[in-house]
Amino acid sequence: MKITYPHMGPLNIALKTMFSGIGVDIIEPPPITNRTLSLGVKYSPEFACLPLKINLGNFIETLEKGADTIIMLGGVGPCRFGYYGEVQREILKDLGFDFKMIIVEPPHGRLADFFKELSEEFPGIGWQPALKSLIFAIQKIFAADKLEKQLLNYRAHENETGLVTKIYDEYTKLLDESQNKKELDEVLHEGILKMKHNANRINDIQIKVAVVGEIYLLLEAFSNMNICKALNELGVEVTKTEYLSDYLKNSAFKLPQKLEFKKNAKGYLERDIGGHGLNTVANTVKYAKKGYDGIIQVFPFTCTPEIVAQGIIAKIGRDMNIPVMSLSYDENTGQAGYQTRLEAFVDLLARKKMKKI
Amino acid sequence: MSKKVGIPKALLYYNFYPAWKVFFNELGAEVITSGNTCKKIIDDGVKSCVDEACLPVKVFVGHVIDLKEKGVDYIFIPRIVSIEPKKYLCAKFLGLPDMVKCLVPDLPEIIDTKIDLYKNDKSLMREIVRTGKKFVSDKAKIYMGYYKALEMQNKFEGIMKMGFSPNEAIKSLEGEDVKVINNGNLKIALLAHSYDIMDDYICMGIVDRLREMGAFVYTIEMIEKNKIEMGVRKLPKDSFWTYGHDILGAGQYFLDNKNVDGVITVSAFGCGPDSLIEDLLERYYKRDGKIPFMSLTIDEHTGEAGILTRLEAFMDLLRWKKGEIVI
Repeated sequence: MKITYPHMGPLNIALKTMFSGIGVDIIEPPPITNRTLSLGVKYSPEFACLPLKINLGNFIETLEKGADTIIMLGGVGPCRFGYYGEVQREILKDLGFDFKMIIVEPPHGRLADFFKELSEEFPGIGWQPALKSLIFAIQKIFAADKLEKQLLNYRAHENETGLVTKIYDEYTKLLDESQNKKELDEVLHEGILKMKHNANRINDIQIKVAVVGEIYLLLEAFSNMNICKALNELGVEVTKTEYLSDYLKNSAFKLPQKLEFKKNAKGYLERDIGGHGLNTVANTVKYAKKGYDGIIQVFPFTCTPEIVAQGIIAKIGRDMNIPVMSLSYDENTGQAGYQTRLEAFVDLLARKKMKKI
Repeated sequence: MSKKVGIPKALLYYNFYPAWKVFFNELGAEVITSGNTCKKIIDDGVKSCVDEACLPVKVFVGHVIDLKEKGVDYIFIPRIVSIEPKKYLCAKFLGLPDMVKCLVPDLPEIIDTKIDLYKNDKSLMREIVRTGKKFVSDKAKIYMGYYKALEMQNKFEGIMKMGFSPNEAIKSLEGEDVKVINNGNLKIALLAHSYDIMDDYICMGIVDRLREMGAFVYTIEMIEKNKIEMGVRKLPKDSFWTYGHDILGAGQYFLDNKNVDGVITVSAFGCGPDSLIEDLLERYYKRDGKIPFMSLTIDEHTGEAGILTRLEAFMDLLRWKKGEIVI
């Protein structure tokens, strides 16, 4: 059995660690490239959202490399994500691939159930090594996310363009390769220090932007055309509001973050509407209150929860006097257009701040 | 003077209007609907909405503005989360009252009754009472209104099962004499959300067009529940959207029983649920290869000629397949 799965932020690092820890063969999805996207777009339904298309591209590339089992998460809606697997399986079948697709349906949408059900697919593997690899995999996710959070700050101050990104890439690779918790902690510590030492530039007007929106678009730099990097290189400190570790914390342990979201969104959106719509609204309020200079929402074209949120956060922007920009992405999105819009937005924020000072 | 409750003639109007009307009438309120969709309503909706919202939502917002201009005391925009256990409606319905409040300024009070039967209906009566209290304080009267509304809903659905479209059923309940010529020799299943095909302005009266061309048209509302369930049982995973479930189930049922000549699906540009549901259905039909299948997409730019040409071509294809047309 050769297992594969789609990319989603640091998920690859984690799943690799977990499966190799229990001795299961995996075929890592190759990095997402334009080929991945073209393949996905070619065979996906036209109005499916970008993540489905990229996922499908991931699957085709790994099936070509010899994978025979795909692991995918299911769901119970109302976001479309819960039905991705069903559609992707039928598309791949029609393309003539011979494979098994394991769609793990989380009965209550909890990650703990996900792992429990997943374990039933691999009989004969003791729970102790499984648990050990699982814990290490989760630690890697947390470490990778911590490193990225620092990156999004320090890169706005890097001594020379591209330097901090280079350090980050190098240390992400070391994180990926680390064999135990001790090594992991050391790598993380060193990586953060090194980024810090290479980021001393002081900006005259320091702008802070929160990037909110749909989780896949936030986690996969390819899908959002690396918006955080583009902002950082314009000298903007960026806070990304969704990380895989947050998702894990929230869905596996049902932490009270959901309550915090509801509290923040009160008066604008009164309930969870699926996907990350509620998070988007709540985070917009949260970061506006925190004194951020601007909010950028990113989401896949045709994503219903985010479209609902888009109308709502525009109102929040007016009420709380904070510029809000919404960007939706599909396969036709051009880099230059987005870069121009980002530059214009950052200009606007700088002027607004200048007046204040 | 009785209070005026405005009900927008869009979205789930086509699924529940008669029941909603009875409920508010029982509470002593007057019910006013918005006008039929027209260019002004669409333009108002498009201007107020975010670009990427689907056409039915833009139309809905246009109708809300129409009601606001009519000077009603309340606008009824329920938050319909779920109308049956373990199934949701599309995400837009979950946030509809919030979204509309943010898009349209200076609205009269919104009645945002929450209907959520996903887990159970415990909260439903509380919401009904909360809504009713805006008009009367007598709980018994509210309960009575609710039961009369349920009765009306059953009656409404019964009429549709006899082959009437939601529009025709609503008209007949309003006391109009509705004659339906639904006896064409070609049977066509028109699988779509009612709000996509019942609004004569946005879908160019597709049901009547097909009938005029000689089709016997089945819409989702005319198909018995047990047939839909039979179809759904064949699927690897049931859809978690109520209307997606109906479209898939009915589509699969007709595919298994071969009792229609053709299937047409209609969806709004960018519709999330339909993008997946229709793709699956189309795959099943292609693999089987026996029943012609056509998908139509509509948005605010859809032209009448385009729709008409495609319907005519589709009907010709079906006739040719039956041997009625020889080339």
